[in-house]
Amino acid sequence: MLDKLKADFDGIIELVNKAPAALQETAFKMILEQWFSANTAPKPVPPSPPTTPAPLGSGSPAAPGILPDAVKPFLTANAITTDILEKVFHPTGPGAQLLASSIPGNGKANKLVSLSLLLCVKQALESGSFTCTLKELRELAVHYDCYDSPNFSSNLKANKKYYNLRQKGADLELSGPGRKKVGEIIKSIAAGE
Amino acid sequence: MDAAQALEDILEELTSIQKDVNKLKTASVSGQALRKRVKNVHKNWLPVAGLLEAGDIVDTTQLQDVSNAWTTMVKLANSASPKKQYKALLRIIIAKTESELLHKFIKGSAIQTIGDTLRKLAQPIADPELLKYLDESIRCAETNCIRASAVLAWCAVAHMVHKRLTSLGIATLNSEFASMKADKGLMFRTFTKDYVFSTDPDVQEAADAHLILLCRFLTYLDDTQHKHLKGALDLRNGCGHPTGYQPDTVKLQAYYADITQLVLLNPRFA
Repeated sequence: MLDKLKADFDGIIELVNKAPAALQETAFKMILEQWFSANTAPKPVPPSPPTTPAPLGSGSPAAPGILPDAVKPFLTANAITTDILEKVFHPTGPGAQLLASSIPGNGKANKLVSLSLLLCVKQALESGSFTCTLKELRELAVHYDCYDSPNFSSNLKANKKYYNLRQKGADLELSGPGRKKVGEIIKSIAAGE
Repeated sequence: MDAAQALEDILEELTSIQKDVNKLKTASVSGQALRKRVKNVHKNWLPVAGLLEAGDIVDTTQLQDVSNAWTTMVKLANSASPKKQYKALLRIIIAKTESELLHKFIKGSAIQTIGDTLRKLAQPIADPELLKYLDESIRCAETNCIRASAVLAWCAVAHMVHKRLTSLGIATLNSEFASMKADKGLMFRTFTKDYVFSTDPDVQEAADAHLILLCRFLTYLDDTQHKHLKGALDLRNGCGHPTGYQPDTVKLQAYYADITQLVLLNPRFA
């Protein structure tokens, strides 16, 4: 990784120099952070700590409709255009919600897996990470009537190729095949299939 | 302990025991192995029951019913007992654990966290007038009054839409309504109402559906945005009138995401 950093370093400095002098330090820090997140191997997802949101009116700006950078390669690789994505999620950025009135798949098991994959993309639109908590999956599965409680864990286990290796009860994170599969699901929902 | 996960594990094991009991060719359950499995699941049930009892999500009467059924089944497991009794008890425990405990627990947990989710969506809003409505709406959601929450959140939307439209001036607003009525385009040809306002408060008397259509006419919203905002208004109307519709937290969250993005944080309405 250090060799790659050495190779990219001049390009980074060139970019930083384009920023006003007062902002160069911040720009350097931001670019370097982006570089590391793009060039380090994904780590297992730690359970998300409970966060207390700031009180109403504290005014930190949201950026609805702006795609996190981490999602763009996924969209390109799966030939998902903004038009397609907009038919499945709204908005297509932070605050994204699943639009589908029903989840594709035959039977509760298939629907649950499709839902879990879609929720990972929803989270990616929110934060850039293709993850989904089991709590959210259960809540949405009840909403979409595809929650089969005695078989919840075994259904996820039977489709483990779609998720990165995890402990029982840990959050889900999409694997390569999972990203490919959800790409197909998104396109089929957008096509009204 | 994750209560939902623990209940799923219990249901998984109980379903498996139920299958094995059904397969038995004898009239009684006498095998040690099967009886031991029942007792082991009961051991796993006790801490979950304690957890549910300590919380206030599930109905204590339902919890007591399941606990009583368990007590009877463990007594059965102490010696060889009729298969018929096992089958009846397993059916009750599985059905009640699933519908009255686990599903209620999941929905109840969603209620407990919905406030945080909604606050996160509304956090960038700084207008104190809007915050009055939103704060009340979120507090409703936290007490499982989802319909009230949807109605109150719409008050913030209506406030913002009225403010934006009256900022044009009453004369301009009257003239824009007349132009929209005259427009024979696909979106506007069904609009046939005459609106003549004299003062700003008169605008509050206009139908919200017409006001948001005017926002589309004035291009504050595009077609897709208008469609989604109309959907949010339909949900609000479903919640604000005596209907059988009962939205859940998932629906409310989607509604909030729409109204914040389409109006409350839309720079075209600032």
